Amino acid sequence: MTTARFTSLYDNSTLGRIERMRLLPRRRLTNRSRGEHLAGKGGTSTEFNDYRDYAAGDDMRYVDWNIFSRLNRPYIKLYRHEEEMHVVVMIDASASMRFGTKLERARQLAGALAIMGMMNLEKVSLYAAQDRETAPKILPPCTGRMSLKRVLDFLEDLPAGRDYPIEQAVDAVLNQHRGRGIAIVLSDFLTFGDVDRSFNRLFSAGLEPFAVQILSPEELQPDVTGDVRFVDVETSYTLDVSSAGDLLGLYHEHLSGLQDRLGTVCRQRGGRFLSINAADPIETVLFDTLRRKGWVQ
Amino acid sequence: MLPGFANPLGALLLLLLIPLIIFYFLKLRRPRMDLPSLALWRQVMADQRVNSPFQKFKRNLLLLLQILLLLSLVGAATQPFLSGDAERAEYLPVLIDTSASMEARDQAGGKTRLEVAKERVGRLVENLLPDQRLCLIAVDSSARRLTDFTDNRRMLTTALNGLGVSQTASRLEDGLRLAQALARANPVKKVVLISDGNVPATTDFELPFDLDFQKLDPAGANVGITDFNARRTSSGWDVFVRVESAAATQGVVELMLRQGNSEVARRTLSVTPLSSERVVFRLETAEAASLVLQLKPDGFDSLPADNVAYLDLPRVRPLAVYCPESLTTYRHALAIVKDIRLYPGEEAAPATVDLKIVDSSQETGPEADVTVLVGVTPPDLSDLLEVTTGLADVVDWIRTTPLLQHVQLRDVQIADSPQLTKGVEEREIEAAGYEILAQAKDGPLILQSEDATGLKLWLLFHTDRSSLPYRVGFPIMVSNAVQLAWQRSGLAEVRSLATGTLPPIAAPAEQQAQVVLPDGSRESLRVSGNGLLTGVSARQSGSYQILVDGKELRRVGVSLMSPTETRLEVVDKLQFPEVSVSASAEAVAPADVPLWSWLAGIGLLVLLVEWWYFQKRPAGLPA
Repeated sequence: MTTARFTSLYDNSTLGRIERMRLLPRRRLTNRSRGEHLAGKGGTSTEFNDYRDYAAGDDMRYVDWNIFSRLNRPYIKLYRHEEEMHVVVMIDASASMRFGTKLERARQLAGALAIMGMMNLEKVSLYAAQDRETAPKILPPCTGRMSLKRVLDFLEDLPAGRDYPIEQAVDAVLNQHRGRGIAIVLSDFLTFGDVDRSFNRLFSAGLEPFAVQILSPEELQPDVTGDVRFVDVETSYTLDVSSAGDLLGLYHEHLSGLQDRLGTVCRQRGGRFLSINAADPIETVLFDTLRRKGWVQ
Repeated sequence: MLPGFANPLGALLLLLLIPLIIFYFLKLRRPRMDLPSLALWRQVMADQRVNSPFQKFKRNLLLLLQILLLLSLVGAATQPFLSGDAERAEYLPVLIDTSASMEARDQAGGKTRLEVAKERVGRLVENLLPDQRLCLIAVDSSARRLTDFTDNRRMLTTALNGLGVSQTASRLEDGLRLAQALARANPVKKVVLISDGNVPATTDFELPFDLDFQKLDPAGANVGITDFNARRTSSGWDVFVRVESAAATQGVVELMLRQGNSEVARRTLSVTPLSSERVVFRLETAEAASLVLQLKPDGFDSLPADNVAYLDLPRVRPLAVYCPESLTTYRHALAIVKDIRLYPGEEAAPATVDLKIVDSSQETGPEADVTVLVGVTPPDLSDLLEVTTGLADVVDWIRTTPLLQHVQLRDVQIADSPQLTKGVEEREIEAAGYEILAQAKDGPLILQSEDATGLKLWLLFHTDRSSLPYRVGFPIMVSNAVQLAWQRSGLAEVRSLATGTLPPIAAPAEQQAQVVLPDGSRESLRVSGNGLLTGVSARQSGSYQILVDGKELRRVGVSLMSPTETRLEVVDKLQFPEVSVSASAEAVAPADVPLWSWLAGIGLLVLLVEWWYFQKRPAGLPA
């Protein structure tokens, strides 16, 4: 007996495994509202943190009476505060992501990471940048299993747009977004703009940048030779290249340089960077690559 | 070596560069390829412009390759060549020595001189320029044109491959005269002679063109038979053999004389460089015999053709002479000549004699090979000559002709006076086939003619009406006639036949004769109406078999018999009446070297590189 698929993004078994996984942020960038993450400061959780002198007006319930009986002075017990983390998932849905299975892989990854966040009772927001002429498509913050269907519906219906550089998309998202946490950016990061500034802004906004570069096999191992006219599918700009086969070595050097730079920028801002091949199965990426890299558990 | 162009107009094809460049830039259609972003490729291009100083070159490498290809083809079309030292000639007759010495090898298993010559001419043919024409001429005892003036390499190569050695001596003059004849139809400035140098040092020929004498390397040791003859003795024959050797020949040779299948005599000789040894065999036989002399050197012998010789000895008999009783003076003179049998005498005259002396028409008496007709005018000259009564003064006579050797005709009184008919000149008599041996004031006195029936000596005056019988020259003249008969009958002295042409052979008239050559091939010839088979070419040494109606008529052996060929004498300089030509100092005179094939090859290479450049795997891919 076959069971109907819950979503077109994954099969049911994969979805089940995703629901049991959790995000592992490096830093604890949390919101004041209660959540699942223990804050360094005093709170109301059951986990003891410290003592302090009693001050007038303190809740008498937190006075440690054992110490009071020994020292005859009132001390207040402090507990760690459990705060909520905001997971922002930004999907580059511009025309460049139409190549191969890049957008599909981006939707699957966005969904998986969002589900992990929701299952951990985080607030999860999704932004899809499709066209610079229009504002990014937003899924308002949601949390819990109840929002699962909303997230999946949002992603399933997400088509590729036109021209939208990722740095501009990040700016547009940050203009709307409030809250600390992690920002997962799914893009190919092939842009003429300054990506460093975008990561700076994410960091300033209290978001830990998780950058996932999704490249198609044609971008990783281009098979070109002779004289070629390259056409940018987003801008329709052209570039005539002669003896393209001879330039592939240089191309690979620049691709590696871009990936190294993105990795460095993310690391310097307490974030993470990962470049994946869109042709790799989603199960391999989720349950092997991300796990080994320490992104999820 | 200076470059030149055989077809400079081919450079006009360079105009194709214009459409090539225009089409390259106008019709260059780059395949379009959609990319997610040009960001990386823009960086790559910017980096490449900075780092690659040859990027412009690489960008248009295909255009450069195409231009290079076009230049190669245009270069080939202009047919460039490197001028050799030799003057460039458009019409070039090439004389190839094919005499017997060209069959000589330099060492055992080595190449013959002709093979070396063929290789040299082959290179000439290979390097033939488009406007050059070669004419191959084979020169041995005569000259043969192998090809017309042509630039057809296949034809020239085929003619060259079919060229063989003729076992005869060189006669360079014929080849030069043939080249001179060719020069009348085509502008011939230079003639190439390729020879081993075994040619006559002096040639009586006025050179109307330059002669490039290319001498081949000398051959090795050789020893051979250069003379083989026999002289009749009282009891049989003395057989004389001469063995000569070339330079650098040292060793021992064995001479073996065979008669049929049986060995008659054997002799061993020691030979030294350029030696000439005479060997005599005594043969006690009165019957006809066919002798074969074989020479076996103990070491390397570069020329095998001169190692065998043939000699046919006739049956020993007295000379048969017919002289009628009426010619008393002649019979008196013949009486003292030894070893002849005079008819008519005690025996009746046979049907054929060796010498006939008559004073009436030639039909009188038996047939003879040599006939002396006394006081008889040739019937076919009756319109040209008239013998009148009167004194004839002898003006001159040919003292070297066999009949008149040592005969003094001056002051001989002759009562018959042959006179030319009015208006007739002597050359008309010569044109009729007669040679004037003695000349009187008003006409010829003695004539000589030869036809199928033999040699005829016409004394237009009767000796009985002259003072000649009283002169000492008369018995000498009769003795000369007898000697002439001895020589022609071959009864006193026989000589081995040399290669060239077989002597006339008597055969049934108007019949088809087959000649089986020593190599087994056959030639068909027709016997002439006078019953003589003539003009049989004998370029190979060996035994020739004459067949008529399938039956063997005669077997004739011929051999080289040329001292110059056997000694392999070479000359470094050819002497002509006014000039002398030295052999080329270089082994191969540098000829014009055509370069079009190289340029065409470069064009093909460029085409392959261009193809490879298109098809090659992209460089720089990580492993």
